[in-house]
Amino acid sequence: MSTRSAAATQVLFDAPGPKGRRRILLISILSSLAILALLALGLWQFHVNGQLEARKWLPYLRWDYIAFLGQGLRGTLLATAVAAVFAFPLGLLLALGRISRVRAVSWITTAWIEFFRGIPMLLVVYAFLLALPVYGIFFPRFWMLVIPMILVSSATTAEVFRAGIGAVDRGQHEAAAVIGLSGTQTMFSVILPQAVRLVLPSLILALVSLLKDSTLGFVVSYNELQFQGKNMVGQTRFLVQTYLVVSGIYIVINFLLTRLANLLDRRMRRRAAEGSARTR
Amino acid sequence: MSRTTFRPGRRAVVAAAAALPIGAALAACSSDSSDAPSLGGGDASDGGGTDTAAYDAVIAGGPVAADTDIAASAWATAIKEAGSLKRGGTTANQVFSLINPASGQVTGFDAGITQLLARYILGDGGEEKVEYLDTTVETRETMVENGTVDCVIATYSITPARLEKINFGGPYYLSGTAIQVRTEDASSITGPADLTGKKLVTQANSTGIQAITDNVKDPASVDTLADNESCVAALKQGRADAYVLDQGVLLGNSKADPEVTVVGEPFTQDPYGIGLSKQHEDALDFVNAFLGAIEEDGTWKKLYDATVGQVIEGDAPEPPTPGDLPA
Amino acid sequence: MQVILDNLPLLLRGVGMTLALTLCGYGLALLLGTALAVCRVSPIPPLRGFATVYVEIFRNIPLLSLLILIAFGLPDAGLLLPYFWCGVAGLTLSSAAFVCENVRSGINTVPVGHAEAARSIGLGFFGVLRFVVLPQAFRTMVQPLVNVFIGTLLGSSLCAAISISETTQLTQRLTGETAEAIPLFLFAGAVYLVLSLGIAYGGRRIERAVAPGARRLRTTDRLRGAAQA
Repeated sequence: MSTRSAAATQVLFDAPGPKGRRRILLISILSSLAILALLALGLWQFHVNGQLEARKWLPYLRWDYIAFLGQGLRGTLLATAVAAVFAFPLGLLLALGRISRVRAVSWITTAWIEFFRGIPMLLVVYAFLLALPVYGIFFPRFWMLVIPMILVSSATTAEVFRAGIGAVDRGQHEAAAVIGLSGTQTMFSVILPQAVRLVLPSLILALVSLLKDSTLGFVVSYNELQFQGKNMVGQTRFLVQTYLVVSGIYIVINFLLTRLANLLDRRMRRRAAEGSARTR
Repeated sequence: MSRTTFRPGRRAVVAAAAALPIGAALAACSSDSSDAPSLGGGDASDGGGTDTAAYDAVIAGGPVAADTDIAASAWATAIKEAGSLKRGGTTANQVFSLINPASGQVTGFDAGITQLLARYILGDGGEEKVEYLDTTVETRETMVENGTVDCVIATYSITPARLEKINFGGPYYLSGTAIQVRTEDASSITGPADLTGKKLVTQANSTGIQAITDNVKDPASVDTLADNESCVAALKQGRADAYVLDQGVLLGNSKADPEVTVVGEPFTQDPYGIGLSKQHEDALDFVNAFLGAIEEDGTWKKLYDATVGQVIEGDAPEPPTPGDLPA
Repeated sequence: MQVILDNLPLLLRGVGMTLALTLCGYGLALLLGTALAVCRVSPIPPLRGFATVYVEIFRNIPLLSLLILIAFGLPDAGLLLPYFWCGVAGLTLSSAAFVCENVRSGINTVPVGHAEAARSIGLGFFGVLRFVVLPQAFRTMVQPLVNVFIGTLLGSSLCAAISISETTQLTQRLTGETAEAIPLFLFAGAVYLVLSLGIAYGGRRIERAVAPGARRLRTTDRLRGAAQA
C-alpha cells in the first residue's frame, strides 16, 4: 500500500518513450541549472555583502548560545504539545457539534468556530493579556499563550474534521443504514474512522501551524524560540544570521514532525489494509 | 464476525490521530522554561555597550532602604513579602536593558535602575531577585494598572496622556533624541533641519516618532520597525536616510558598526520615568525617595558611567530631579 | 470609542492596506501554489525535488521570521523590494506552500481510475490534470483554500513588523499615542472578523455552487450501478 501515493501521481502521465525520456532529461538538466544558478547568485551576493563571514556565524556554534536558544526551543515545544493535546479533541467535538441535528448545538458551535477562525491569534492573546485582567481573571504567562492557541487551533481543526466527515462517500451512510446502524453508531464506527484517516495530512499541517503560532509568545513574554532569538540579536547584532538560524530550527523541527506523522500515517494505512485483507 | 476483526484497525486510526501531539509532548521537557538561563562564563565585552565589571560593582554598592521606610509603604512591603520585584520592560535594548545569552545577566542603565531598586527593597542580593517580564508599548499601561508587574522601567517617556492612566516615578533619565546616518552622508546631514524631504526610520515603540513630529518639517516618509537592528539594516540598505532615536542607543550602534555615524547634538530632552499603578500612591513616594538616595550617594553617576557613559563621551550629566514632571 | 471616530479615515486606510496585502498575497499564492503542485506531480525529477523542498521550507518557517528575512536579508542577496512588496512576497511564499499541499491532496482524492481512463482516451499530462483531475479535485479543495485565504488575511497582521501601515500597525501606533488599548483592539478584531466571515461566506457560496453538479454525477453513478445489478 505504501507505493500507492506514488502510483497515484505517476498515473497522471504515460511511461515516457525514448523521445519523451530525452525531453524529460533535457528539461531536467535545464531546470537544475536554473535552480543552481539562482542559488549560487544569491550566495555570491551574500558573500559580497559580508554576510558569510565566519565571525557572524561562529556565535551559533558556541555551546552557551546554543543552550540559550535551546531554552527557547523547549518553551516552544512545550506550548505546542500542550495546545495540541487539548485542541485536536476539542476540534473533533466542535466539528460534531456543528453537524449536529440539534439546532441550538449546531448554531452555537458554528458561531464559536467562525469567531475564532476569523480573528488573528494575536488579538486573542491580547484579550487574555489586557481585557480579562480588568475583570479580575488572571492566567499564568504559559496559559495566556496556550489557551489562545487552543481556541484558535480547535476552530481550524474543527473545519478540517468537518471537511473530512463530508468527504466520506455517501454510500457509506447508506450502507450503514442498510445494516441497521443508528445515526450515532454510523458516525462513530463507520464515518469518523474514515474521516480521520482522510484528514490526517491536514492535522499534521495544523500541528505545524500551532508550532509557528507559539512565536506569539513574545507578547506575553513567554520564552519561546523566536523571542530568545530576538534577545540574541540585541547581543550579537547579527540580524540576518540569527533569523536564519532560528528559522532553520523551526524548519527542521517542523520537517521532523511531518516526517514522523507521515510514518505513523503510512503504518496505519498498512495496518488498515492488512485488516481489510484479512476480512476478505 | 469479520466486523470485529476490522474494527480495531479503525479505532487505531482515531487513537493515533489523537496521539499525534503526544509525540511532540514527549519531545518537550516537562519543566518550566521561563526561568532565565543561568550559564557561567560571561564575556566582559558585550554588544550592549556596558562595562560589565564596573556595572557589577555599582549594583553591589547600591543603597538598601531602612526597614521603617519599607514598612511605611504597602507597595514595598508586598514586594518584600513576595521576595522578588516584577519589572515590565524589555531585555533586548542595547545600552539600557540587554540580556547576555552567555551569562543570562541583564545589564544597561534601565536594568541597573531595576536591580538597584530590587536591592533597595529586598536588601543585599536583592538585585538577583528581579523577574523580567516583557511589556510592549501596547501592553505596558495595562500591565501596570492590573498589577501583572510592580513597575515598568523601559525607556518609558513621561507624557501627560500617560499620566492620566498611571503614575510615574522619576524622571530618572533625560534622553536626548539624536540622528544616525550612513557614514558617507555624515557631512550632508547634521541636524533635524536637514531631514526635510528625507526618508526616516525609528523604532515602533519609541519616543523617536514624537521627536520627529515635533522637530522635523515634512520628512519624505517615517518608517517604524520592530527593533534597533532592523532600523540599522534599513539605514545601511538605503531604505532610510536617517535613523532617529535615543542618542545612547545610536552611539552604541556606531561603536559596533563603522558604517553608521551619529551626527550633531541631541535635539530633544525626553524624561524617562518608572511606571507605577495609581492604586499604590505610596509607591510613587517610595520610588522617588529611592531615586533621591541613589542620586545623592553617587550611585546614579557611577551607573551612568558604566552604561551610557561607555558610548556617550564626556562626564555624566546632573541627574534629573525626581517629581519634576512635564505638565 | 471617541479614539476610533477621531482616527477613522486613518484606520480605514489601514483596512485598505490589509485588503491590498491579502488580495495580492493570496492571488499570487494561488498561481505559485498551483504551479508548484503541478511541478510536484510532473515527470521532471528536479522540478519535483524543487517543489518538495520549497514546500518543506515555506510551510515550516514562521511568517514573522520570513518577513524579516525578506525585508532585511534579501537586500544582501541582491534584491531590495519596497516594504509593501516585501509583505506581499512573504505572504505569497508562505501561502503558496499551503496552496500547493492542498492542491496536491486534492489531486490525490481523485480516484486513480479516472486518471487512467483519461490517459486511455489519449490525454497527456496537462490534459489529464486540466480536464479530469483538477476539476474534480477542486470540489474537495474549496474549503482548504478558503482556509489559506483567511490565513493570508490573518498573516497580514504580522506585516506591522516591517513598517507597513495596515490595520494592526495603525492600531499599535494609535495605542502608543492615545493609551486607549481596548477600544482600538476591539475595532481591529471586528475588522478581521468581518473580513474573514466575508471570505468564509464567499467560500461557502462557491462550495454550494460546485456541489450540485457533483450530486447529479453521483446519482447517475448510482443509477448505473443499479442497472448493472
